[in-house]
Amino acid sequence: MNLLDEGSVAIVEETDIVTVRQTVREAAGQIGLGVTDVTRVVTAASELARNVFKYGNGGSMTWKLLESEFAKGIELTFQDKGPGIPDIEQALQDGFSTGGGLGMGLPGAKKLMDEMSVDSSPQIGTRVVVRKWRSI
Amino acid sequence: MNKASSKSKGVVIEPQETRSSEASGDLLRLLVENIKEYAITILDPEGMVTSWSPSAEKIKGYKADEIVGKHFSAFHTPEDVASGKPERELAAAAKDGRYEDETWRVRKDGTRFWANVILTALRDKKGNLLGYGKVTRDLTERKRAEEQIRQQSREILEMATVPVVQVWEGIVLVPLIGVLDSERSQQLMEKLLERITATSSPVALVDITGVPTIDTKTAQHLVETIKAVRFVGADVVLTGVRPAIAQTLVHLGIDLSNVTTRSSLAAGLRVAFGMLHLCVSAESAD
Amino acid sequence: MHRETITVIKVRGVLMVTMPADPDDATISALQEKTLEAMEEYEARGLILDLSRVDTLDSYFARTVTETGKMVNLMGGQTIIAGMRPAVAITATQLGLNLAFIRTALGVDQALDLMSEEHPV
Ligand SMILES: Nc1ncnc2c1ncn2[C@@H]1O[C@H](COP(=O)(O)OP(=O)(O)OP(=O)(O)O)[C@@H](O)[C@H]1O
Ligand SMILES: [Mg+2]
Repeated sequence: MNLLDEGSVAIVEETDIVTVRQTVREAAGQIGLGVTDVTRVVTAASELARNVFKYGNGGSMTWKLLESEFAKGIELTFQDKGPGIPDIEQALQDGFSTGGGLGMGLPGAKKLMDEMSVDSSPQIGTRVVVRKWRSI
Repeated sequence: MNKASSKSKGVVIEPQETRSSEASGDLLRLLVENIKEYAITILDPEGMVTSWSPSAEKIKGYKADEIVGKHFSAFHTPEDVASGKPERELAAAAKDGRYEDETWRVRKDGTRFWANVILTALRDKKGNLLGYGKVTRDLTERKRAEEQIRQQSREILEMATVPVVQVWEGIVLVPLIGVLDSERSQQLMEKLLERITATSSPVALVDITGVPTIDTKTAQHLVETIKAVRFVGADVVLTGVRPAIAQTLVHLGIDLSNVTTRSSLAAGLRVAFGMLHLCVSAESAD
Repeated sequence: MHRETITVIKVRGVLMVTMPADPDDATISALQEKTLEAMEEYEARGLILDLSRVDTLDSYFARTVTETGKMVNLMGGQTIIAGMRPAVAITATQLGLNLAFIRTALGVDQALDLMSEEHPV
């Protein structure tokens, strides 16, 4: 697996969610994803960035463009030092929200991306990694 | 792999007098000079051109005195040179005796051609590397034809998997045929929505007469498609819902209660006209 | 600051609101405020939300849109969402968004036609 490019965005203010979307849109375009897939990735990123801002007391988003023999991909890591998610399985269920939201962010991001993993603990906070691939 | 075996790979050149007469040497030279489709080049162990056939001049544009003594990386693209490909090719041929590749190469005037290249290591009886024989074929025409065929078949295939046609001003039709797996339904959604917005059609007829069976996944794809069509501001009329399919849909618990469905395409078309407030002649009205 | 403007105009007794391409959360919540105020001020009979420029519709944005639609309905007006792009529509369905109770139209023109058909002036 080759690393083609990478970068990161700090998520401190609410408007940083917009910066995350713009950064991800540009990066996803670079590996030749179609407009629908780009929209999927950007939408998932928007959900996860808002969670970092709203529940994780801020943090960061790191993006990586990857290349293997058969595919190019984009990997996004959302990291915060917040309180963590007590029950990840529950948080991944459609409609579960502790913040009066639609409870659609985490399960939605999972549906929109090819891969997603969530790590969380009260000590280290929450890390969500998502990936989308395009076969070449 | 031991040293002896790797050394023995490649073509072994035997001293002339033990193998071939003057006459056969001449014949070989005549053969090389008259082959038109192949550029035949001899390189020294470092990759410098030492011998150049007339066909090589024709294919690559260099005259013998312009290229002999130069490095064979002159035939590579700048990208290949930058990545060290010429050296890798020589190393591969030296190691395995032979190296073959199909790739872009560059002529003297800078134009590119699609080449089949075979590099053969030339060794003496003791296994010492004398140089390399290089045979290059210009396959640009074949490549172009292949690309064209590939492009055409891709278009035909796409048409066959999800043909979306505008049947009337304001109405697009997708006759679905065969199994609707998730990749196809993805294509269906993208193409259908694109056509709807490009033609400003408020009604989409999705005809499933040609879909043999429906399982839960397929039904979900259909429901998703119908939802997405609504989001862009159009309506779906689902047609070709045969008795067996209707039974399956009910048994699977798929809720299509707020989707207009009809058993035949003709009936669906009438509904579509109605939605557009188009008059339908008395005989064909519901 | 990314703050973008929301354009609100009144045509044929209908309020037309155009959303910017990539609004931040503050701009999105201003949408609700501004729209409801304008509905009252202009005594509009309906709201057309033009989403044709929008390239990302996430759950926060969608929730504000549906809520606003419901509020406008309560105030006696009708809401139509117009011009959602194909890629946005596909993503929205996959995300699981539900825009039930809200009508949609291909574009602003079609939305205006729908309004006049059902609620003639
Ligand atoms: N980074 C995080 N740190 C701590 N808790 C989180 C984090 N992300 C999500 N959660 C928890 O998981 C729940 C579900 O998140 P999800 O994004 O699915 O829904 P939501 O944010 O509540 O609503 P929506 O995203 O639809 O507006 C949240 O309500 C919150 O309790
Ligand atoms: Mg969320």
